[in-house]
Amino acid sequence: MNLDSTLDYLANTPLAMAISQGAAAFPMLECIHVVAIAAVVGTITIVDLRLLGYRSHRRGVRQLIEDILPYTWGAFALALTAGSLLFISNAPKYAHNAQFQLKLLVIVAAAINMGIFHLTVYRRVEEWDDRLPPPAAARVAGATSLALWLTVIFLGRWVGFTL
Amino acid sequence: MDMHGFSEWLYGTGVSSAIRDNFWVVPVVQSIHITAIAVVIGSALVTELRIAGVIAPEENICVVAQRYLPWMWRALAVLLATGLVMIVGEPERTLSNVPFWIKMALVVTGVLASIGLRKPLLTPLDRSSTGPARSLAWIMLSLWVAVIFCGRWIAYSN
Repeated sequence: MNLDSTLDYLANTPLAMAISQGAAAFPMLECIHVVAIAAVVGTITIVDLRLLGYRSHRRGVRQLIEDILPYTWGAFALALTAGSLLFISNAPKYAHNAQFQLKLLVIVAAAINMGIFHLTVYRRVEEWDDRLPPPAAARVAGATSLALWLTVIFLGRWVGFTL
Repeated sequence: MDMHGFSEWLYGTGVSSAIRDNFWVVPVVQSIHITAIAVVIGSALVTELRIAGVIAPEENICVVAQRYLPWMWRALAVLLATGLVMIVGEPERTLSNVPFWIKMALVVTGVLASIGLRKPLLTPLDRSSTGPARSLAWIMLSLWVAVIFCGRWIAYSN
């Protein structure tokens, strides 16, 4: 079974057919997808701006991240679920869309950026947290995250115009 | 002039056709619109979850409002500007659209509620999180989510 036949198979499952042929399913999934993305990017932006030196509701970075990250992850899970359902409704077309492919790559890049941040400069967060301005590595991680997530929004919107 | 006549007049203006003729304008403006929506949702989420007593209970509500309410106003200004571009570009699609007008009613409600009920939080006062205040926080969040739903439905109505 190659990729294209897998994509065709996905698009022909009863669930995918219900989404692509129902009147309300696709728009409703899009609504959920947009709400979830707004929550992901909105909450991540607060953390990114704090890493760049802007103030948040918490003095320290660690407390801010502990407040916010559960909601970012919850919203991301929701965006991924709604996004996957939108994807299977027209799997071959999405999979061959350049903007869609690029969007997935940029999300992976954002994940790698976050992973590096958590494994390096965030490991030593007690050294700066609420006492010192964020170190250069934290600022770079914040700026990179902000740029990547804005790109995800632009590419996502672009998929709708190129599909 | 009725709404249909106004839409037709607006459609015929040079600005309107310029927005349609440059293929990149609408996707870029919509992307900026969604980014501003993300800022509203991020600000509202932290503020309302704090008022609802879910996060950061030891931080003063006044401090939380001082941090996030200004971002909310900036984002709403960007939403108004980018929204106007979309209306001018495709007047008929928006102005004779039921979800669009429901969305506008909800946006006006949200802005008035923020001015009346969230702006006063900027003044430092000793506030206890009462039951009604907590319920109101969930209503405010639901209101912004409803705005997003109506916004997306504009594309599917008509």
